[in-house]
Amino acid sequence: MFYRKKSLWLFLLPGLAGLMVFYLVPFVGGIYYSLTDGTINNAFVKFANYERVWQNEVFRLGLKNTMELSLICAPLIFVLSFILAAMLKTLKDKSAPFRNILLMPYLMPSSALLIVWLLLFDYGGVINRVWEAIFGQRVLWLESEALRAPIVLLYIWKNVGFSVVIFSAALQALPEPYYEFASLEGANAVQKELKITLPLILPTAFLVFVLAWVNAFKIFKEVYFIGGAYPRDAVYTLQHFMNNKFAKLDYQDVTTAAYSFAVIVLVLFGVMYASKAVRSNDT
Amino acid sequence: MKKKRRRRLRPGRALTYGILTVIAILTVLPIVLTFLYSFFPPSEIAAYLKTRNNYTDGQWMDILLSPARVSLRQYYTVLIEKPNYLNLFVNSVKYTAAILLGQALVIPAMAYALSRFKFHGRDALFFCVLMLMLLPFQVTMAPSVITMRTLGLMNTVWAVILPMIFSPFYIFLLRQFMIGLPGELLEAGMIDGAGTGRCFLHIVVPVCKPILGAAAALSFADCWNMVEQPLIYLGSQQSKQPLSVLFNQLSTENSDVAFAGAALYILPALLIYRYFQEDILLGVQLSELK
Repeated sequence: MFYRKKSLWLFLLPGLAGLMVFYLVPFVGGIYYSLTDGTINNAFVKFANYERVWQNEVFRLGLKNTMELSLICAPLIFVLSFILAAMLKTLKDKSAPFRNILLMPYLMPSSALLIVWLLLFDYGGVINRVWEAIFGQRVLWLESEALRAPIVLLYIWKNVGFSVVIFSAALQALPEPYYEFASLEGANAVQKELKITLPLILPTAFLVFVLAWVNAFKIFKEVYFIGGAYPRDAVYTLQHFMNNKFAKLDYQDVTTAAYSFAVIVLVLFGVMYASKAVRSNDT
Repeated sequence: MKKKRRRRLRPGRALTYGILTVIAILTVLPIVLTFLYSFFPPSEIAAYLKTRNNYTDGQWMDILLSPARVSLRQYYTVLIEKPNYLNLFVNSVKYTAAILLGQALVIPAMAYALSRFKFHGRDALFFCVLMLMLLPFQVTMAPSVITMRTLGLMNTVWAVILPMIFSPFYIFLLRQFMIGLPGELLEAGMIDGAGTGRCFLHIVVPVCKPILGAAAALSFADCWNMVEQPLIYLGSQQSKQPLSVLFNQLSTENSDVAFAGAALYILPALLIYRYFQEDILLGVQLSELK
């Protein structure tokens, strides 16, 4: 650790300046924007912007969809990646090729894979062939509210690998003697997972969930590729609302929507952290 | 010996292999299909794509697996006949290169300062980084649009490049790795008379190779696939847009050669992944993410 070194500024300053100019200062300054009316006088209007935005049905639709989509994606990614990581662990060093394949989509541009995706989910496509064989009828994946399914799947296909890697790293670091002792005591595989693995990887699990959840707000990308700038109601996200407001140069509404969302996210994080703290107090 | 035999007999292991193999095949399938279809003659692809959106029950699209003849015609069209695809591809390369270069100059140094120096307000600053990382893009975007307007950067490529250079996630990722490095490493350097700069360049950077590789690869994926930022900051200036934004539109307009376009678009990502995959795994494993 270095103390009171002048050279600190050499390392810190470029990054700090950038963070200040592009993230921190605008974030604080933007609050002022959301409280004024945006005319030449820039009069202070208190919470009038917030009232207007919250009464806007399109905003509420976007917010609701963003929340719903992220709360579909994040738990799915969380559970899937944990199961996959646990399965990979049982294969020991033979798991490398599987893990490498699972991570691969994370780097792929999703727009490039969209054409294949649309083929697979076409009314006469492979997915419907399988679906009809199992459930007896086809689904209009791309032209109905079911559009959420291909979007969520594209998102999961792309993002599950990264969570698997984080989980795998955590699982590898678990001390083997615990398991050996549990086996001696006659614990079965499920018991071992629940009583040893789960408590020990809780911090990682928390991180994976938070990252998966925050990233799921970015699902706009997949929606935009499939549905464009004005998609059907089931997948109209907050980002669509903001983009369209922005295109109309309505900065007040854009910032107000942003801070409304920020408050919600921060409150939810607060609740999650608090519950985590409470849990760790118990044990 | 005994243990080995028991393991081979366990049916759970075979099941695990089976499930993972199926998942792995499903995972690579879209990529494989894209490359496969890119070698079909454009006319065949065009005919095939016409059978889409047919809502007659009882009619299926064919499952196309081998071309009438293998053809490079799609690639020829995309690369030579119609330069607009290639122009956007070059745009994407430029954005990605500029952002990665900027990040290389700024982010490791910042992470070094945050992890290896003790100074007033360090923890508060790190908390800010953490908070910015967790805030969704929708939230950080709106205020930074205002900055861009104030700085006069709106509708220029810098509006896309500059904020991404200071991406908080990578500061976090590198800082978590560096904070886990043993203190003896730097003490040894200091005893040998190295200053903070030398310690950084000759000790920290080499040791951090895996996480630097991981960060580079992940950041590449971000840039190569970015949509929200250019869509907002560049407005309707099509000539400045990267491929990620317009690829869709392009592939609808020229659907007969779309698969070659997609294959070329995927290829750099595949190569980067091949090259950096060990780094990503090692970097995540060694850093304090867990």
